[in-house]
Amino acid sequence: MSISGKTAIAGVGTTQFGKLPGSTAWGLQAEAVRLALEDAGLTKDDVDGLFTEPQFNEPLLLHGHVIGRMLGMKPNFLSTQSLGGATAIALIQHAAMAIEERLCEVAVCLFGETAKTGLPMLFGAPQMGRGQSDDIAFGVAGGAVMEARSAMRYMHEYNVTHEMLGSVAITFRDHASKNPAAQYQKPLTMEEYLGTPFVSEPFRRYDCAITSDGGVAVVVTSAERARDLRKPPAYITGIGQAHNLDGLRDPNHYTHFAGARSSERAFRMAGVRPEDVDAMQFYDCFTSTVLITLEDYGYCKKGEGGPFALEGNLGLGKALPSNTSGGSLSEADLAGWNQIAEGVRQVRNECDERQVPNAQTVVVAGHGGFQASHATLVISKDQP
Amino acid sequence: MRDLESTGRTRVADATASAGPLVDLVIGMKPVVIPETSGFWDGTVVQELRIQKCNACGNTQLPGGPCCANCLSQDLTWVKSNGTGRVFSFSIVHQALHPSFMDRVPYVVADIQLDEGPIVLSNVTDVDPHDVRIGLRVAVWFDEQDTDAFGVPFRLPKFKPSEQ
Repeated sequence: MSISGKTAIAGVGTTQFGKLPGSTAWGLQAEAVRLALEDAGLTKDDVDGLFTEPQFNEPLLLHGHVIGRMLGMKPNFLSTQSLGGATAIALIQHAAMAIEERLCEVAVCLFGETAKTGLPMLFGAPQMGRGQSDDIAFGVAGGAVMEARSAMRYMHEYNVTHEMLGSVAITFRDHASKNPAAQYQKPLTMEEYLGTPFVSEPFRRYDCAITSDGGVAVVVTSAERARDLRKPPAYITGIGQAHNLDGLRDPNHYTHFAGARSSERAFRMAGVRPEDVDAMQFYDCFTSTVLITLEDYGYCKKGEGGPFALEGNLGLGKALPSNTSGGSLSEADLAGWNQIAEGVRQVRNECDERQVPNAQTVVVAGHGGFQASHATLVISKDQP
Repeated sequence: MRDLESTGRTRVADATASAGPLVDLVIGMKPVVIPETSGFWDGTVVQELRIQKCNACGNTQLPGGPCCANCLSQDLTWVKSNGTGRVFSFSIVHQALHPSFMDRVPYVVADIQLDEGPIVLSNVTDVDPHDVRIGLRVAVWFDEQDTDAFGVPFRLPKFKPSEQ
């Protein structure tokens, strides 16, 4: 029996995004939780499930224990996961399953980090395990060098141009210009995009997710309970994950992510087809990631994502309005969590100037773990 | 630098001011040799590029692991690779996010598909980075000998363009 529509997101909390001197990851996590509970009209005492993703610059053992203690919680269900940019959706999936099985009733899922002003993010032996970070010795430091090799192969195989990559950054920046919470709101031109030097070829600065301080929390509960709360429910109608754990060791994975499998599962659970989706919130850690995910999700054939984006189809009012908040390229990069908050606000019709009219079904994509992991979330205004 | 700030999730300049074994370990500037990969790194010391091979099913794999990822057999051995292959993909790094690489930019990080099949991550050297292309024929060479944070010797296997 499917969990489709049995649970809903009842509250979202987002802190300020950007450069927040003096903030801490713990403080941002706590603030996001308080805001999410206020949004749902619930109190801390209602929460009996806690689902956490550790901050990247301190990937701690027992993260859930620490933040749970700080929040004064005594949950009946505790889960901490580390799946890179797929973690947020995977945690919500775990929460939905736990709620459906009556293992907990009100779940808070949280993430917050100080990537902009805090400690550096490290991927050495203490974080990754001895012998599991040897690539750094060849100068592979930071996500751009990882995904750039996928992008280089993708551009080579399918004649994807820099203008196609740039169109993604430009469109999402245009959306961010309509979002007062976005970290970067100044419109971006193709000339400016192409005039910026390479960071890790083929990526220029604007191909890469920005760096942010911030926190996001999501309240998940049963559909019945969500209907009695302060805000309209955003029903979780489809959810799936899939992993290509050999990543770039497999030649196919440069141009085909696990998103094809995770979206197929999520769309089937929700009973929707790609063309039924009113808005997409991609995990846009890099511009090429969006194009490849578009294809993996069935919006375009392989190699046609670039022309589709260049034609402007990802813009508000166009075929597939995407990353309506500006996403990780312009609003904030918080490991895909802010994309979920935006998806919920779209189906609640709270997005003012950037609102997609009558948004009924929004899909969120999570992608990460050195390109290995993908997760897909379908949220709907109406219960199926 | 603004560009660094906007993309640099690894601002480690201050942290590496006093480089040493602990920093190598924490930051990952050097490999850490473990039993699962020691066949590979031991090979580099005698200037052999080695691939892990499964004696049960014949699968070859890199990096080394505790079992064959195809059949889960733990009857594994290390075999010598010819050390030749082609650039499957690459990136030219222009902004090193790690201070120990800042004086090397631009440098090429490449995925080399060995003629035996497996893809190995390395650098392509001895060529103008802008002349590197997907499909370029390359051959392995071995950088100077060094030791990891625990004193185990290794050489980094790198690649340079080769004739057909």
